[in-house]
This record gives sequence, structure tokens and C-alpha cells, in this order.
Amino acid sequence: MWEQLQLLAIFLKSSALAVGGLASLPLLRADLVPRYVTDAGIVQALAIGRLAPGPNGLYIVSLGYIVAGWTGALYALIGASLAPLVMLPATALARRWLLSAWFGGLVRGVSLATAGLLLATGATIVAGSGTQIWQLALVAVTVVVTVHGKLHPAAMIVVGAAVGLAFGR
Amino acid sequence: MPIVKSPPTSRALARAWLDIGTQSVGGGSSTLFLIRRILVERLGWITVREFTEAWALSQLSPGIHLVALAGLLGRTIAGSRGVIVSVAGMMVPAAIITAIATALLGEVARHPLTIAGLSGIGPVAGGMTIGLALTMARPVLQRGRWAVLDVAVIVAALGILLAGAAQTIVVIFAAGAFGAALLGRERPTSSDAPMS
Repeated sequence: MWEQLQLLAIFLKSSALAVGGLASLPLLRADLVPRYVTDAGIVQALAIGRLAPGPNGLYIVSLGYIVAGWTGALYALIGASLAPLVMLPATALARRWLLSAWFGGLVRGVSLATAGLLLATGATIVAGSGTQIWQLALVAVTVVVTVHGKLHPAAMIVVGAAVGLAFGR
Repeated sequence: MPIVKSPPTSRALARAWLDIGTQSVGGGSSTLFLIRRILVERLGWITVREFTEAWALSQLSPGIHLVALAGLLGRTIAGSRGVIVSVAGMMVPAAIITAIATALLGEVARHPLTIAGLSGIGPVAGGMTIGLALTMARPVLQRGRWAVLDVAVIVAALGILLAGAAQTIVVIFAAGAFGAALLGRERPTSSDAPMS
């Protein structure tokens, strides 16, 4: 029971302290790897999150399933659904605060730190996925394509799987 | 004088968000595009102004911004009932499909072809994460001399996590406090936060 509550708390915390869907990744990785899941599991969840319908932050549900089956998926869904709804009372009660300079600075600080944390997390995932030449080339192409937004994320996952089937056997 | 209109039934509202949640693959702008097309243009439940304001506020929310957007729009459409139906309609069916897809992948995870495919998906997932981070950091380049502070936050967070010098949560709290004290020179823009 205690462990169940801990898992729920992990998913709630990761959503509550992140600004943006994928921004929860560094927090989740810090709490779940290696105790509950490996980096390979994180990669699977990220891929499914991109291929499945809905917000890409739903990768968290895939990760929850990998960690603890349907119960884990439910905890992840609860965390991902509840945390952003804090905006409902916030916009009603503290709208002036939300539009203040210091709150804008707070969001900016968290966003910038998240960018740095995501860079570190991405580098860790790359290192754990293999460093053969074709894999590093795939990383470089994906970074460029993602920054320019030229190709749909789901298509990039399919391309990655095809390249893996061609070179990874 | 505002036009008084009766809110849609829960069933109609759930159907609209179900369409949004299950038809948008990859999240982000594709989901946002669908929300606007269905709720504003097709059904007329939300005005362009209401949509734009809710979207701007949702960019300040923790977690998945699209959930906050669904909640804010749902409240505008049908009050508390609208919040619950909208968020559940967008999230629950998509989450079930996501969990089933994960279960199916788990069934074939040890197959040599799956392992080979994942050997290519891993670098793509890592590359996407790095690419998203760079996209989040990109507005820094337009901030002139103040960019030094922004870059310092990014580099500090990167270095601290790679070096294992502090917990992730500590980095986030510290960056939030630093931002509130020193980075609040202007209101955040939508491009400062990742779309999800």
C-alpha cells in the first residue's frame, strides 16, 4: 500500500513541478530509474507517447504501465490530469499574480532549467541506446528535424524503427 | 450584449473531446489545431478570443498544458461539469489506447525484430528530447544581453544533473526562485514553454 502511494506521489510530483508535457521526464527518470524501470523502458514509453493519440505528455501513462501495469497507468493518468487543473482555481483567485512579473520570471526560470535538464536526460538516453555511427547519425538527424519541426514526431519514430531494423540486427 | 446560449449536453461535449483526444497523433500543435477547429470553428462553443485567452493562461500551468486548456475551455462551455467531461474525454480514451499499445509492445519486446527496431528508436527518442530542449532554449537568442542569465540557468541545470551534484527537484525549485527574483522583466511568451 505504501509503495502504491509512493508511486502515485511520484507521478503527481513530476507533473506538478514541470512546465509542459515532456518536461516531467527528468523528474520521473530521477525517481524511477533504476528502481522501477530501465532507460530502455523510458525509450519505449517515449516512442509510444509519440505514436499514440492525445497529448505527447501521455508518454507518462505508457511509463506508468511499464512500471506497474494498469495500476501504474492509472496513477500516471491521475497525476497528469490533476496537476494542470490547478490553473482553474488559480485563474479565478489569483489572476493578478499569474500576470505579475515575478510569476512570469518563476515560469521562465523553471522552463530554462527544464531545457537544461532535458538536454542532460536526452544525452543519457542517447548514451544508453548505443553509440554506433548509424545511431549517432540518427540522433543528429532527429535533433535537426525536431528543432525545425519539418517532420511529424510519429513519422520520425517509424523512421528510427526502420533504420534500426536495417542496421541493428 | 453577449449572446446567451445553453451549454451542450455532457454527451455532446464528451464526444467532441473524444474526437480531439483520439484523432491527434503526436500531441502538441496537432492537438491544439484540432481543439480550435472543432470547438471554435465547427461547434461554435468557444469564441476565438476565449480560446486565445485560455491558451495563453494554459501556458503557465504545470504539467501538460493541453490538460489545463481542456479544463479552462470546459469551464467556459459548461462550468464544473464541463471541466470533468472535457479533461476525461480528452485523456481517458487516449490513455487507454496508450496503455494497450504499451502492453502489446511488451508482448513482443524480446523478439529480435523488436530489439532491432528499438535500437533505432532509442537514438530517435534521445534526439527528440535534445531537440525539444533546444526548442525551449531558442527564445533565449532573441533576448540580447539578458540572454547571459538565461544561458547560465540552462547550463547550470545541465551540468548539475550530469554531474549528479543535486537532485532534479532541487534544481527546479532553485531555478524557479532565481527566475522569480531576476528573470521577471517581462511576461512570459507562449514560445517560452513547451507545447504539449
